[in-house]
Amino acid sequence: MTVTNAPSEVATARAPAPRPRLNIEPYLYLLPHALLFFVFTIYPIGYGLYISLHRWDLLSGRQPFVGGEFYRNIFTPGTPQADFFWKTLWNTTFFTIVSVPLLVAAALGLALLLHKPIFGRAFFRAVFFMPGILTVSVMGILWRWMFDNQIGLVNAARELFFRAPPIPWLSTEGLAWVPIVVGTIWWTLGFNMTLYLAALGNVPASLYEAASLDGATPWQSFRFITVPMLAPVTLFVLVTTALASFQLFGQSLVITNGGPSRSTQSVIQYITEEGFTNAQYSSAAAMGFVFGLFMLVLTAIQFRSMARDVKETGA
Amino acid sequence: MTVAPPPPAGSTTPRRRRMPRDLPRFIVLCLLSVLFLAPIYWMISTSLKTEADAIATPVQWIPRNITFENYTSVLTSPDGNILRWTWNSLYVAAAFTIIHVALCALTAYPLARMQFRGRNAWFWFILSSLMIPGIVTLIPTYIMMLNFNWINSYHALIWPGISGVFGVFLLRQFFVGIPRELEEAARLDGANSLQILWRIILPLSIPPLVTLAVFSFMGSWNNFLWPLFTVTDVDKMTLPVGITTFSQRYVTEYGKLMASTTLAAVPALIAYLLAQRFLESGLSTSGLKE
Repeated sequence: MTVTNAPSEVATARAPAPRPRLNIEPYLYLLPHALLFFVFTIYPIGYGLYISLHRWDLLSGRQPFVGGEFYRNIFTPGTPQADFFWKTLWNTTFFTIVSVPLLVAAALGLALLLHKPIFGRAFFRAVFFMPGILTVSVMGILWRWMFDNQIGLVNAARELFFRAPPIPWLSTEGLAWVPIVVGTIWWTLGFNMTLYLAALGNVPASLYEAASLDGATPWQSFRFITVPMLAPVTLFVLVTTALASFQLFGQSLVITNGGPSRSTQSVIQYITEEGFTNAQYSSAAAMGFVFGLFMLVLTAIQFRSMARDVKETGA
Repeated sequence: MTVAPPPPAGSTTPRRRRMPRDLPRFIVLCLLSVLFLAPIYWMISTSLKTEADAIATPVQWIPRNITFENYTSVLTSPDGNILRWTWNSLYVAAAFTIIHVALCALTAYPLARMQFRGRNAWFWFILSSLMIPGIVTLIPTYIMMLNFNWINSYHALIWPGISGVFGVFLLRQFFVGIPRELEEAARLDGANSLQILWRIILPLSIPPLVTLAVFSFMGSWNNFLWPLFTVTDVDKMTLPVGITTFSQRYVTEYGKLMASTTLAAVPALIAYLLAQRFLESGLSTSGLKE
């Protein structure tokens, strides 16, 4: 290994204000990642745009330019692309609207229950966190079985406790969302809980002591100390959970396969169906861009909070 | 069973007041734990039942005739090999993790500790790629895999995500905080930059490196959408995808289905028990999710 920094004698022997020699060392470190970054991140973005503006037919091997045709299809009511794209985008949005408040509020509730020392705390933490390590297909198959129309555990429990008849969860429009939402909460609640537990640990105890000296009730301490002190982590949890919810794919694919009659199909499942099952790569690429633009707004919010993190440690 | 722990040092709360105040909280936590554990219990208990018992009404809360028949028939099934899928997942996740962490460390090092033209511009350029949602590159990357002839190969599962930028960000943030003096002392002793990275920066950065490795491994291990479409050859499938094809085949054989999901859950459960501390602390310090 050679040290590439120019020796100082050379500098004094030359002109009074020498340009420092270009040090290539840092660039060599960056090179491997940069090459892969261009091949697998930058290039596919441009390539995707190219694909979406051409008609990609793998069988004929020809890709004639069609301009914005596939984008127009998405925005022209009546085409199957428009009908299914917006329907499944709404499905995904509906899932996000329902699941995110539950995932944030319940995670905060669990964290508050577990924040102060209690017998068996490590065990409880592990119990709530553990489902999150299962892969989405294990989680999905399990919850499909839990909500099985005839003999699932949920219907069995309803029978046992309420003498209620079984409900055909998986084959009823609207109700089919219940196993997906419940399964997702069970699956991901522990992640958010862990983030909240870490944040609760950072709230200075002196604030609560001062408040209790002033005669604050527990509710007032929670409302005026805990909630504001947790605001940054709440924003983070909200945005990351919403981003994850918009990525809905595996849960509804495995639990309901998007049914009944596409009522739980996610937009990503529809895009993959259009691309891989129907071999309409150009149409699917165009949908990827439209949905990507939709997601960009949410991602930008998260990006801003990360950028603040960079500034704090000095860029 | 005693409920109240001894009061922590410095606590002014008298012991006899703690217990009744903690008891409702403890009971709520126990009930929630039962709810959280019920699906896991149901999975394992169904996997130990005979097919007739699995679908019997009223349901058998506790399996009456315990049998391992489902496990043996799933493990010897001609429709797919769970052990093979587990190996594929392990291989792909390990290869991905090693290459990814090495790439991230090499990239974060000059970005954190060297002065050079374009440093900040490059950092912000790659960082801004985090804003591009993955769905945008799904179809073009798939077509690239077709062109590379990488469909049904490990390459398709390892390379496309390898240049992720979050790890670069995570490591750079940590590298920036390492004291200058250590590096200067090593330089006076004649160390070159590679030696400084290897002997000083990396050994001091074990916690973020382990965090990144654990999350890279989990991310690859749990990846579902991409392997679902790029690998259709049964022998090349990863565990999450293979298990799904099982479930489509054994859609009404619940005992076998639950035996296969239990087997698929075992590696993750073991890994969780081994890496529990890293997982939870890494999650809360890095702000990483899923």
